[in-house]
Parts: sequence; structure tokens; C-alpha cells
Amino acid sequence: MISMDRPASRAETDHGTGDAPTGVSRAAPEWLVRPQVGLCPCGCIGRRSRAGFLARTIDGLADVTRQAVFADEIGSRAGLLQRLDPRTKLLGLVVLLVTASFVHQVVLLAALYLLSLVLAAASAVPIGGFLKRVWLTIPLFTAFVVLPATTNLITPGEVVVPLGTWFGHPVGLTLQGLTGAVLLVSRVAVSVSLALLVTVTTSWPRLLEALRSLRIPRMFVTVGAMAYRYVFVLVEVVTDRYTARVARTVRRERAKAGRSFVVASAGALFGRAHQLSGEVHDAMIARGYVGECRTLDPPSFQLADATAAAGLVLIVVSVLLAGRALAG
Amino acid sequence: MLSLEGAHYAYLGKYPALDDVSLSIDRGEAVLLLGPNGGGKSTLLKVLAGLVFPDAGVFTAFGQPVTEDALEDEQFNEAFRSRLGVVFQNTEAQLFSASVRDEISFGPLNMGLDQDEVRQRTDDLCALFGLADLVDRAPYQLSGGQKKRVAIASVLVMNPEVVLFDEPTAALDPETQAWFLELMVELHAAGKTIVVATHDQQTIDRLPARGIVLGPDHRLENSSATPT
Repeated sequence: MISMDRPASRAETDHGTGDAPTGVSRAAPEWLVRPQVGLCPCGCIGRRSRAGFLARTIDGLADVTRQAVFADEIGSRAGLLQRLDPRTKLLGLVVLLVTASFVHQVVLLAALYLLSLVLAAASAVPIGGFLKRVWLTIPLFTAFVVLPATTNLITPGEVVVPLGTWFGHPVGLTLQGLTGAVLLVSRVAVSVSLALLVTVTTSWPRLLEALRSLRIPRMFVTVGAMAYRYVFVLVEVVTDRYTARVARTVRRERAKAGRSFVVASAGALFGRAHQLSGEVHDAMIARGYVGECRTLDPPSFQLADATAAAGLVLIVVSVLLAGRALAG
Repeated sequence: MLSLEGAHYAYLGKYPALDDVSLSIDRGEAVLLLGPNGGGKSTLLKVLAGLVFPDAGVFTAFGQPVTEDALEDEQFNEAFRSRLGVVFQNTEAQLFSASVRDEISFGPLNMGLDQDEVRQRTDDLCALFGLADLVDRAPYQLSGGQKKRVAIASVLVMNPEVVLFDEPTAALDPETQAWFLELMVELHAAGKTIVVATHDQQTIDRLPARGIVLGPDHRLENSSATPT
């Protein structure tokens, strides 16, 4: 117990008295200096407590940081696309996306997709991870849109897969519906692959700088830059907070307690994010920020960019001509 | 009581934080973790707290190996978490409840202590840490020093056998620092095992403890009875 009549400690004799500050009780409570018997013996009994929804979600958030670090690493590798000026890549991406939207033949979209895979391999992007990131998102988001359109309820035509009847009418998948669905999924796959390729082979500051040089409004670029930077800060706050909670969670908790934590965290995080945005903006202005992102070694067009631009023109013209020939 | 053998740990698998770290901490011992920024002190505390797990090496606490798998066992998790408390460097992250009272009572309620006992402990620590007027405030609305006091109280309220502190005196004013160091000395004298990661010279001078130094290469440099 810290008390007035105890012998002077080393702290007091050497450095001061250790007096309690104003408003602070001087004595530690008796229960705190008394040994406490642990809740149970230190040993396993075999009853398992698996990670719940909350833990898995927080792990998923932490994975965002891991993926971003990995993407930064790919962006600094020696590869074909890494050698190009970010502006060339952005313009190329836009041109290829527009081209893909004009193509109505699956075989040509497949050729464009194959091109994205070749570019990924030539840019030292791990093909396995690249395929996973594209194909894990495409079926999920496009299936909801595409599936109803494959039936004769939405797309009339020749029924190739009968599904039954609905209010006395035969229902099934039509050839026209299925063709449209494959075309849409292929187009989305090509677009997502190309966009992913540009983002993983270009560091974020370079990408933002390229957006600005292509006359994308300053406000849009600045908001993107801040969002990207502070997503990681806020992810860190959430994961740290969860870790601190785990350290004090002795018994298996109920799902309701987990939900309460999420709600309380969301509120606190909103408050923190709001406070942080003001602090960050002040700090930026204090160091001369006037809305322009600047980096050392600004990019410049090289011979590689001219070659890439010529190659791009050749590909686009070939695809459009082939499309016209196939349609005709 | 706590033992680490040949621990390696790297963040995101590529940024090393601990390299071949071996140490042993006895029951009732006080240990100061010293070393430069980025040396791995906070990571070492998280390993000792069973919050991150070494990529290689073995961590044993209270005679049992501590692994992610072992902590999924309900009894072991209860036993480990009720015996060992940790005060984080980042106070902001440690405070997740809606009010100071909820924050401090979170741990003991989780331990299954009865309501009266929890209320008593919460009141005692609010008085001890000068938080009595702040019990209904949201922790994120408090000042840096007040947050730190809430964070420390929220761990001590569980009365753990082992308390790990990461920069506990940061953000405290000099008067509160001196008082808190006395409290740590008292807890140590009462038989608690205390591990403190710090740069603070006052803590190093005042707490009679063994010093352990983690170097910039994330390896243990030495272990001495009196820290330098």
C-alpha cells in the first residue's frame, strides 16, 4: 500500500515523493495488491472456441493492408508495364476499355483477355493471384445481373435449357440470353483485368500524378489520395482496437456482444475519422499544400512509351477490323 | 513463468520485428524492455500477451505452450487472459467502449465476477486514477493523459498476475508519472510480475528491474540485473 508512514523508497530519496496528483486517491485498493486466484487451471480441455464473424471480418480488413503492401511491391518490380509512364498506361487503359465495349464477339474479348494475361506475365505479376482477384469478384457481381436475363422471361428466344413452368408458361434459358451473358461476363473480365493490371503495376502516388496531368479535377484526385492513405490508418485503428479487446476478453462472448462492439466502434471510428481529417488537412496546409500532389522524379515519356502507344494502336485497329469482319 | 525460445517474427511476412529472441521471466520479477524505436519492443510485448504468434520459436506461459491453437481452447484462453494483462502503447486503440465506466468494467464482467464486485473495483480504480468525474464520458473525448489513465485502470481492474506495459508513462504529466511509478513499485512489491517497454528515463531510474535490450537488428543485446 502506498501510505504516508511507509519507509522512504528509492524513488522518493532520489527523484521525488511520488505524491498523488490532484483528484487522485493515494492508496491502491486492497484487492489490487492481494494475489488473485486465476479463473481456472492453465491447461487445455479440448472445448474449442472458433473465430466468429467479427474475427473473420477484422482479419479480412487486415488483409487489405497486406494486399496493398504486395501491390506496392509488384509496382516496384522490373517488368514491362512498370517501365511505362503512368500516363501512357492510363490512356492505354481507357482506349482498351472503350474498344472492349465496342466488341460484340466473345472470341475477340477472349483475345483481349489473353493479352492482359501476357502483359501480367511480362510485368512480373503473379498469374495465380491475378486470376483469383479477377474471377472471385466477377461471378459474384455479374451473376445477379446476368442470371435473370438468360431466361426467356427477360430475353425471348430459342430455349436450350428448360427449367419448368411458371403460371402455365414454359421457362428456360435461351440461346440468346446465354450468349448475351457470356459476352457481358467476358467484357467485365477484360475490363477488370486491364484495370487491375494498371493499378498493381503503378504506385499510388504516380497514378494520382498521372490523373492530374490528364486533367482529372484536382478535388477528385485529392479525395482519392486522402482516402487511400487514411483507409490504412482507420483499418489499423479498427484492428488495434479489436486486438485490445481480445486481450481483455476472458470468456467466449455472445454474438450480441460482438455486434455491440461493431456498433460502438463504428460510432467511435466516425468521430475519429472526422477529427483526423481536420488535423491532417491543417498539417498539409501548414507545410505549403495548395491542392497539388507532387513527387520527386516526375515521369517523362520515353521510347518505351512511344513503342507501347504504337502497339496499342495496332491492337485496337486489328480488334475493330476483326470485329467488323466477323460481324459481316 | 514466461519463456520465449528462439522467437522470430516479421510483419506481413517481410518486415522483421524479432530475430532469434530468447528470454525467461520469473514469477514476481520486474523487467524493463529497452532499445531503439522500431527494435521490436511492442511486438515482443504482443507476443508475451498472446496477441501475435512467432513465425518460429516457442512461447510458454504458466507452464503451457501458447499458440493460436491453444488459445482457441476455452479453458486455456480463460486461464491465460485472466492472469495476464496488457496496456498498449496506442491508448486510442485500447479504448473501445461507449463510456469510461463501461471501459473499466469490461474485463471483470468478462471474467464473470459478480456485479457488486465489479462496481466496487470500478469505483476503486476511478478514485485511484482520478477518473471519478469522467465515468460517463466517452473515452475518445478525453485528453491524452486521461485516456492513458483509463487504459491502465481497465487492465488493473482485472488484477492480473502479470502486467505488460507499453510506454505506460507517455502522455502523463510529470506529477502523475511520479505517482504512477510508485504504484508500479507497489504492485511489484505485492508480488505481481511486471514487464515495461519504455524509453522513459524516470521509469528506468525508479523501477528496480532487470533490463533487457532489443537492438536495432531486432535481436536481444543483453540482459542485466540493473538497467543502464
